Amino acid sequence: MTLSESELERYSRQLVLPEWSGEAQERLKSATAIVVGAGALGSPAATYLAAAGVGHLGIVDEDAVELSNLHRQPLHFTPDVGRQKAENAALKLGVLNPEVQVDPYPVRIAEQNAPAIVMGADVVVDCSDSFATRYVVNDACCAQRVPLVEAGVLGFDGLVLSIQPGESACYRCAFPAEPPAGSVPSCREAGVMGATAGIVGSIQALEAIKLITGVGEPLVDRILQLDARGMEQTIVSTSRREGCPACGRLTAAPQSA
Amino acid sequence: MTRTAIDLTGVACPMNWVRTKLALERLAPGDELAVRLDPGEPIESVPRSARDDGHAVAVEGHVVTIIKR
Repeated sequence: MTLSESELERYSRQLVLPEWSGEAQERLKSATAIVVGAGALGSPAATYLAAAGVGHLGIVDEDAVELSNLHRQPLHFTPDVGRQKAENAALKLGVLNPEVQVDPYPVRIAEQNAPAIVMGADVVVDCSDSFATRYVVNDACCAQRVPLVEAGVLGFDGLVLSIQPGESACYRCAFPAEPPAGSVPSCREAGVMGATAGIVGSIQALEAIKLITGVGEPLVDRILQLDARGMEQTIVSTSRREGCPACGRLTAAPQSA
Repeated sequence: MTRTAIDLTGVACPMNWVRTKLALERLAPGDELAVRLDPGEPIESVPRSARDDGHAVAVEGHVVTIIKR
């Protein structure tokens, strides 16, 4: 896979990086990333993945754009209120970078369709907003050994964990049980500072790029916790949990990536 | 060991380094790449980038010769 003249120019400011290479850029171009959720995390994550040149992007979201989304979901503009988020995101990303193919999936991801949605992906970026969905995405990715970037954001707080199924802690290893209903305020109750989601979603894009290309060191077995009030970042170690129902049966590195 | 020459006159920074770098990626360690560059920023900047990446570099006039590490 070779890069066109316009691609060389478009990606020149990352191609010059000592950590980056034409080979890394070509890996991105031939990669497929699935972004689950085109909201607060999905907007920045999908934007940077498309801009960086990930060749195939799938955007999964069943919701329509609401006025109250706009403060934290910068892929959606005021005239987009009422439009399908997945369709609107695909439209915007296609304008941002016509070199990449963006497919909208205007569906709710659930146990039944998750395996088909993540199948064949090089990375899944979970930008959903519920614990239940995160477990569904985690389990589907573990079953198919698809690398995954998990994240959550609430108020001024965020966290990110990258997962290489079978090699590093999965979301269930790190968070074995869903918190009891009512113990964690939902997004609507607690609110989200839009820029906090911007930071966390951008970190997710960077993690996905690292997982695709092998450049840098992704946050595997390490949970990044961000408290944006004081802009404090903490990294907490985690590890695979024996008997994990999602990844416990997977053995490490059965084949080279 | 091979010797390749590319002419990047008229190509501004940083695209000249992008093209040099991609040309180097296609070579094997020890291979030589001769790059003709414009005077001024290009001939000052490209050799520096190549050195920073660990390659052996020699500049003669407007041509920089890079031996891939």
